[in-house]
Amino acid sequence: MGGVHKVNAGFTVLLPLRPERVESAAALLEQMHANQPHEQDRPNPVRASASLAQAKTTAIDFSRSSTTHFATITIIPAQHYLDELLPATLMFATSYCGPARAHVDELVLVMGDGLRAIFAHVDGFDPDCSDDDLEWFLLRHRTGDTFYSGMQNLSPEDVRRNRQLRIEIEEFIDRHQPIGGLSGPPDDVRKAIQDYVLSREELAWVREPFAPPFFAWAVYHWRALAVEAGFVGLVIATIAWFAGGGAVLGTFVAIGWALVVGFVALVVVMLVSIREAEDEQTYISKRPSDDRARLLASTQTRPVINEFTLAGPIKTEGSLRPLFLRISLWVIARVAEGVPFIPTLSEGINIPTVVTARWISADGGKRLMFISNYHNEGKAYVRDFIETPSGAVRINLSFGFGTGYPKTRWVAFGGALDDPNAYLYSLAENQLPTLFWYGPYRDISVDNIKRDRKIREGLFDHKLDAQKWLHLL
Amino acid sequence: MAAPLVSDDIEMLETEDIQALVLRSHQNLAAARFLLLRVEDPRKAREYLQKVHDRIARANKRPELFALQIAFTASGLDALGVDPKVVATFSREFLEGMDQKDRADALGDRHANDPSSWIWGRQRKNIENEATEDGEQIEKRRVDVMLMVYAREELIETHVASECASMDGGLEVVRVQGTVMLADDKEHFGWRDGLSMPKMTGVPKRSDNEDNQRSERTREKKPREFWTDPIPAGEFVLGYRNDYKNYTESPTAELAEDPANLLPLTPDAAKKSVGRNGTYLVYRQMTQDVHAFWNYLQSSREDGNDTQARAIALGAKMVGRWPNGAPLMTSPATDDDARVHDNKFTYVADKGGLVCPQGAHIRRASPRDVLAIDDRDAAASISMVRKHQMIRRGRAFGQPLVKSMDAREMMAAPRDEERRGLHFMCLVGDINRQFEFVQRAWIHSGTFDSMYKDGDPISGGRSAPGSENPNDEFTCPAAPLRRKYKAMPQFSTVVGGAYFFLPGLRALSFIARHPGPVGVP
Repeated sequence: MGGVHKVNAGFTVLLPLRPERVESAAALLEQMHANQPHEQDRPNPVRASASLAQAKTTAIDFSRSSTTHFATITIIPAQHYLDELLPATLMFATSYCGPARAHVDELVLVMGDGLRAIFAHVDGFDPDCSDDDLEWFLLRHRTGDTFYSGMQNLSPEDVRRNRQLRIEIEEFIDRHQPIGGLSGPPDDVRKAIQDYVLSREELAWVREPFAPPFFAWAVYHWRALAVEAGFVGLVIATIAWFAGGGAVLGTFVAIGWALVVGFVALVVVMLVSIREAEDEQTYISKRPSDDRARLLASTQTRPVINEFTLAGPIKTEGSLRPLFLRISLWVIARVAEGVPFIPTLSEGINIPTVVTARWISADGGKRLMFISNYHNEGKAYVRDFIETPSGAVRINLSFGFGTGYPKTRWVAFGGALDDPNAYLYSLAENQLPTLFWYGPYRDISVDNIKRDRKIREGLFDHKLDAQKWLHLL
Repeated sequence: MAAPLVSDDIEMLETEDIQALVLRSHQNLAAARFLLLRVEDPRKAREYLQKVHDRIARANKRPELFALQIAFTASGLDALGVDPKVVATFSREFLEGMDQKDRADALGDRHANDPSSWIWGRQRKNIENEATEDGEQIEKRRVDVMLMVYAREELIETHVASECASMDGGLEVVRVQGTVMLADDKEHFGWRDGLSMPKMTGVPKRSDNEDNQRSERTREKKPREFWTDPIPAGEFVLGYRNDYKNYTESPTAELAEDPANLLPLTPDAAKKSVGRNGTYLVYRQMTQDVHAFWNYLQSSREDGNDTQARAIALGAKMVGRWPNGAPLMTSPATDDDARVHDNKFTYVADKGGLVCPQGAHIRRASPRDVLAIDDRDAAASISMVRKHQMIRRGRAFGQPLVKSMDAREMMAAPRDEERRGLHFMCLVGDINRQFEFVQRAWIHSGTFDSMYKDGDPISGGRSAPGSENPNDEFTCPAAPLRRKYKAMPQFSTVVGGAYFFLPGLRALSFIARHPGPVGVP
C-alpha cells in the first residue's frame, strides 16, 4: 500500500431485507461465520446447528482482505417507532483502512460471490451482477457513520508486522538473559537490537517508511477542516466587508452569519424541545431475563477482543430527537477525530478499551445503531464508561436517546449518572447477538497494538530517549 | 479535575441487623470451621435456622468467645422453600453459580482450575455436558448453606458438635473445612496477608474494635485524595448507596410475600428488601504449591551468590510486598518492618513498574491510581478502582511447610504431601462488578496493563499448553532491559467454590420462616 494513506474508517451498508428472506439471510450469515477458517473451533453460541455447519456455502473470508480490520454482518430485526414499522435490515459493517473505493474493490475481488449471496436477500439487488456493478452497489448504499479507531493509520499488515517485530526483538533479548542479559548504556542496547533487526531478512520491511503521509491527516480531518475554513472565511469576509467591501460581499456575509445564527437557534430550539420531552419519558428498561442475559454473555467470551452490536429505535418522546441525533453524532465524530487548531479538542479522544467503534443514525434518525470491537467482556465493557462522572456524561451523549435509557436532563446529565443499573438494562435490551463477526486479533489487546506500534516507531527514532523505548519491551 | 466531596448524607449502617463478618474478620478467634451443608429436610432446616438466628454474631458487638455466621447458595434458598419469584430477584451471577460454563471461562477456571475437577461446589445444572461424574453424586455433595464457626481454639470442636446436633437432620454436613492461623498472619507462600482492605463509610463509632473499618462521622466533606479513602457502604452491604450514589441491584419480595412484616422496605417503599444489610460472599478454595513456588523462584535467579536472598527479592516483585508486608513502593530494597502497614502508596510515580512491576499480585488486584494511566488521569483511575473493591475474609488451611513461615526455611524444606492453601472469601455488593471483574480483567488477564502473556504469578491460573495465551510469564521491568520469567508453573489451584448470600438478620428470619409458594411444610 505504498504511497496510499491508511486512514481507518467504517464502511457501513444498511439495506432493508425482503421480509420472506430474513430467516434464510440469518441462516446464511451464521453459516458463513462458522465457516471462517479461524472460527472452526468456536461454535456460534446464538443458534449453533450441526446441519448449518455442515451445509455448503459460498465463503466470506475477510482474512484474504488486506484492508479489513473487523467486519460485522448481522440482521437488525423489524422494530417499531411509534406507529411506524422499521424494517428488518441487513447491516454490513467493516472497519477498514485506506480509500473506501480500494477497500470495496478488494472485497469484491476476494469475496464477490459471497457478497452476492448475502445481498441477494435485499430488494433491488441483482445476484448476477458484474463485479463493477457490485462495487457500485456497495458504494452507492454506503451509510454515514461516526467512527472511532484506536489504531488509526494502521493496516492489518502493520498490526501483524509490528507484532512480529516485537516478538523477534523479545526473543533476541530473552536469548541473552541467561548469560547476564544485554547490558550497557541504553543507546548501546538499542543499537544492538537495531543491528539484530537489520540483520534479519524476514524483517527487511522495517526499513520502509512507517509514519503516515501528511495527506492522511487532511483526509482524516477534512470535514472539520472544511467547517473551520468556512468559519475563518466568514470572519475574514466580515472584516473585509467592514473595511469597505461591496454589496456582493455583504450578501455573502449576511447569508453566512444567518446560517450560523440559524444553526445555533435551531440547536437551542431542539434542546429546549428535547428537555420537555425528557420529562415526558415513561419507559425505562427493566432487568433483562436471565435467559437473555445468559445469551448475550455467551457471545462475549473471547479472552481478549470481543464484538458488541446494539440497535434499537430511539425514544419516541420529542419529535426533534431524530434530527438532533444526526447532528450530535456528526459533532461527536469530529470530536472523536480531533478538531485541528483547537487546543482542547485537537487530540481527539482515546478510549482505552476500544479498538474500533461506530454509531449510526438509521431510518431517518429513528434508529440508533452501535458496533464496537473492544477489549474485555460485554457487561464490564459498557460499565467501564460510567465509572467516572465525565464518562457517564459522554455515555449520555452517545446513547441517551436509545429506547429504555434512563431519563436524561439537557441530553448530557442525569441518565447513567442517576441510574447506572437502568443504563445497563437498556443496553442489554437493545444488544443483538451478532450473526457474522470477523475479528482476527485474537490474543492481542488494543493496548498491545498501540505498544507494538510505539516499538516500531521508536526503533530507529533517535529523538526518542533510548531508555524510554527499551521500557516498551 | 476537582476532587468530588464525600457526600454529606452518609448512611449509618444498621449494625444490629448485619452479620459481624462484614465488619470483622474475627482474628481474635483463632479457630474456624466452615461447615458446608445440604438441606436434607426443609422443615427441620428452617427450624434450625430459627433456632440459630439469635446465635448469629452481629456487627454491633465484638464476639469474644465464638461467632457463628451463616450464608446460603441459590440452591439453598430453593431447597429451603423460598418463593422462586423472590429467588429470581437475586443477581444472575449468584443464581447461575461460579461453575457455570461461560463464567468459568471468564474467571480463568480452565485447565487445572476446571470445575470438573473441583472437590466441592459443583451444581447439577452446570454439568449437563460433562461425562465426568454422575449427577446424583454431584447432587449429594450439593452445598446449600455454609455455617461459619469461629471460636477460641479450645472451644471450636464443642461448638461445631453442638451446632451439628442442633440441626436435627434438617441439614446434612457435606464438608467441614478446617482452617489454620499461620505465624505472623501470613499465608502459605510466606507473605503477610490482609494488609490492605477497603474502608467503608457509615460504620457507627460505637462499633468499636472493628477490623479495618473506621467511623465516618468526622470525615464528612473531606476531599477524596487517596484511593484509601472510605468507600460508600453500598459497595459492600446491600440496601445502602454505593460509589455511584445509587443502589446496587438487590433481592426483593413483594409486600404480600412478607405478611409477618419481617423485612425492611426498599428505598422506594415499593417492595420489601431481602438484600438490605446482607452481602454476597464469594468463596474459592485454592490449594497452594509452596514447594513449587520457592523452587521456581530459586531456579530463576541464575546470577549472584545468595540465591535465597535473590529468590525472596523476586518473590517480592511478584507479590508487590516483601514477606513481612512492607510494600515495594515505600520500601523498594529491604523488608522494612517499620513499613509493614504502609498503605497509602500509589503507583503513579512508577508507571513503568521499575519499583513494583505492573504484573505484581497486589498491583493487579488493585491498580490504585494507574489504571490505563496513559489515557486517564490518576483521579479517574482512583474513581474506577474504587468500584472494584472487595472485603476479604479468607483463612488458610492445611499445616504450613514450616511453622516459622520463614522464607529461607521454606526454601530448605523438602516437598511434603500436606494439602494446604487458602479459603479465599470476599464480600461484595455486586459479584460481577467487583469479584468477577477483578478476577477476569486484572488477575487473570494476560494483557493487563498492556502486557502480553503475563499471568498473576501468585494466584493466577495458567492456560493449557499450546493455548494462544498461556498466562505463564512474569515481566520484571528494569534498566536498561526488563527481565522476563517464563514457563511459570501454576502455584495456586482452585479446587472448589461457590457464591453465597450472607443475609442480614431480618432477612435470615424471612428465609427461616418463608413458607414457600406451595406451602412447603
